[in-house]
Amino acid sequence: MNRFSAPRSIDEYLKQLRAALEGEDPSLIQDALYDAEEYLRAEVAAHPGKSEADVLELIASTYGAPDEVAAAYRDTEVKVKAALRTPPPRRVENPSSARRFFGIFLDARAYTSLFYMLLTLATGILYFVLVVVGLSLSAGLAILIIGVPFFLVFIGITRVVSLGEGRLIEAITGERMPRRPVHPGPPGGWGARIGAMLSDARTWTTLLYFVLMLPLGICYFVIATVGLSIGGNLALAPVAVMGNALGLIGDDSGFSAFALGNHFFRLTGHSWVAAIFMFVIGVFVLTLLMHVARGIGRGHARLAKALLVEPGA
Amino acid sequence: MEDEGQGRKFQKDLNSGLVALVLLAVLERSPEDLYGYEIAKRLQKANEGDALFKEGTIYPVLRTLSATGLLTSRIVPSYSGPPRRYYRITDEGRAVLQQWNGIWRQTRDFVDRFVEGTAP
Repeated sequence: MNRFSAPRSIDEYLKQLRAALEGEDPSLIQDALYDAEEYLRAEVAAHPGKSEADVLELIASTYGAPDEVAAAYRDTEVKVKAALRTPPPRRVENPSSARRFFGIFLDARAYTSLFYMLLTLATGILYFVLVVVGLSLSAGLAILIIGVPFFLVFIGITRVVSLGEGRLIEAITGERMPRRPVHPGPPGGWGARIGAMLSDARTWTTLLYFVLMLPLGICYFVIATVGLSIGGNLALAPVAVMGNALGLIGDDSGFSAFALGNHFFRLTGHSWVAAIFMFVIGVFVLTLLMHVARGIGRGHARLAKALLVEPGA
Repeated sequence: MEDEGQGRKFQKDLNSGLVALVLLAVLERSPEDLYGYEIAKRLQKANEGDALFKEGTIYPVLRTLSATGLLTSRIVPSYSGPPRRYYRITDEGRAVLQQWNGIWRQTRDFVDRFVEGTAP
């Protein structure tokens, strides 16, 4: 049953566990390694005077071999995935292209992605400021004794924020993201910790992600609001015409909500035909926006996975 | 060797629902939040001798229970090692524990009736 020889150190155990979980989602692997390391280090701490190898031998049969633990994670992951998935839109056999195009309105992911796009303006600004302030203060304080622990705290904060962003992305797009923070590794002095953090590619890719979120967030927000306002205003053209017929909007009214509708109304006069035409375009624009939103949701989740999770796996 | 393999497989099949039930019960009974290692140690005391399950296998179950809302967890940084994830049972978890406990007793009585030979 054991593919490898019994591990003689915690690092060896974790290496075997990682190998046994090969092919699984990197976020799952991170969670499993975190749990195992937490248990094994606690066990070693509870047996002072014994070497890691001795303790591992002691608990070999009670804790489980790397491949047994890996099997437990693989089995549970199937169940967790089923429990957390937002219901996918009901699939129709061979949907016609019309259904495929307009069916986007039934996809919950499109709506959550659109919401996320609006949110990223705020989060993008927040993350960017966090990184800029953190890095510049770290650099500035580096000459003082407080600079070193400050940098550690800053990186620690970015890890917690990265975890939160991952949970948000998983909720929005369904892409599996880690549920545990990155493990800080064996307790060591300040120097060892800083060295480990600086040499970890993931620390830097996470900072890159946060910096990128500002331009990306602005782009997403603009796309979302422009799409919504153009599509929405065009689609409401018939309402504008009706509103004018009822005397609610137009040159004589003070009701300014349909400003764009007013504008088009002036161009088209009292033409219902034009209104129908604009309605069609408006619906088309909105549908296009939903498709774009879902695509952006998927693409961004992959970016987040690549920058926030994979370098550590 | 054949019997041992059969026995282990049967134990594993039984464990798949019951470990979750036991974890919920441990957290329900405890007045304070517990972290993974503590929970494993509590179970180990009763699990001595012929261990019913490997301690490493309770962690994914804890994650499932958290993911489905029956437990909540929080991370507490610790100076003597890695940060710990503390678990606590939720109200939904308590309700589910009651339900599962009832099912477990029913099932246990049902099986006993046949295995002990008291059924017609």
